[in-house]
Amino acid sequence: MRWIWIDRFEVFESGRRAVALKNVSLAADHIHDHFPGFPVMPTSLMVEGMAQTAGILVGEARGFAEKVILAKVKRAVFHRLVRPGDTIRHEAVIEQLTDQAATTTGRTTVGDDLVAEIDIVFSHIDQNVSGLEFPEENFVFNESFLSLLNTYRRNSGERIPL
Amino acid sequence: MKFVLVDRITELERGRRIVAHKALSLAEEYLADHFPTFPVLPGVLMLEALTQAAAWLVRDALDFAPSMVMLKEARNVTYKSFLAPGRMMTLAVECKELEQGRSVFAARGSVDDREIVKGRLTLRHFNLADHDPDLADVDEKIRTHMRALYDLVRVRQPAGAATE
Amino acid sequence: MAAVPREEIFEKVRQTLVDALSVEEDEVTEEATLTGDLGAESIDFLDIVFRLEKAFDIKIPQEELIPRDILSNPDYVTDRKLNEAGVAALKAAMPHADLAEFEKDPDIDKISDVFTVGTIVNFVEAKLAAS
Repeated sequence: MRWIWIDRFEVFESGRRAVALKNVSLAADHIHDHFPGFPVMPTSLMVEGMAQTAGILVGEARGFAEKVILAKVKRAVFHRLVRPGDTIRHEAVIEQLTDQAATTTGRTTVGDDLVAEIDIVFSHIDQNVSGLEFPEENFVFNESFLSLLNTYRRNSGERIPL
Repeated sequence: MKFVLVDRITELERGRRIVAHKALSLAEEYLADHFPTFPVLPGVLMLEALTQAAAWLVRDALDFAPSMVMLKEARNVTYKSFLAPGRMMTLAVECKELEQGRSVFAARGSVDDREIVKGRLTLRHFNLADHDPDLADVDEKIRTHMRALYDLVRVRQPAGAATE
Repeated sequence: MAAVPREEIFEKVRQTLVDALSVEEDEVTEEATLTGDLGAESIDFLDIVFRLEKAFDIKIPQEELIPRDILSNPDYVTDRKLNEAGVAALKAAMPHADLAEFEKDPDIDKISDVFTVGTIVNFVEAKLAAS
């Protein structure tokens, strides 16, 4: 099981807003446990999809200079079940962004239905070390995430800044 | 990967409090991505583990009546540290409110007595048949599955030892 | 601009802390410490600052709330404790806080513990007066 909970970016406005899509498929292992006979997308994995959408948005706004990690879920509310065959749309907006941290608000939808509202605080752990040991390199923004962003830019004809 | 984030329930005060463990193993494939040089349990799976622990409390307290027990709202889930492979996270979840269709919990995760995550969870519980009577047999299938899984994760105390 | 009454500031700060820390209203008293009594973590401090900025429409640079530059200055710190000059500098930089207890054991890792609800109210009050 890969740990990528978004499939592609539909919108990417640097420093402001991003929309990423995730298709829910029976091909995914985990959904068959949750629950047997009635598979639904787990709420925690929708939080992750939003966190990845918002995290890349925050990271890119600072040139991927720091490791941006999920520090706090302020609020995640769920309104509707999500089933195989649904396409989840995570829309994340940067609310605040500083050297130390960032906050984002998010709306998750399937079609016209509001599925979830997910508000997050990210920490830039290079700034907020407190006796924790972790590697030097930016392990957070690995190839898979960066290639999602590059695919979006290629498809939207955007010139990738040098 | 099986989406089971609670490996063992060690304490259960019916309807009041549950203590459980999640053991983290390098064999869990998603760790290869999270992160490549620094494998740690993703924060949302800590949330899932706490949610599943709370859900077991609900299922036990309501005699497995609702088939679907899901997170309705998570508030102020704060992450303080990481869980590395080979370590065990203790999930301590206290029930603040418990009704037929809804429950509220104060949840904490710790490693060796150091708190690594905490948050407030609201769960909702229901049967599929509540919305569509044709799904009553699916509810039964889920209930059966959950009872069997519960037997796997629940550590039985020897006869005579207090569990409640 | 007319000064905002302290009571009004306290109400808004209280609501902010209730929202950010999942505590009950009656736990949020003037004397309650953020870390000790209300269970705030360092990430909660960041969250709280963001919420206060929104609630009061002010900017709160981290350095004004907790002067990290003083706490990491080798002239002021030995073995992770502030010396006399360090404590004096800290007092000057943190007029919103009561540092009497902290002074007895000026451990730089424990700086967050000085923050009471009253400290936050003081800080916001001063910020609003200055704007």
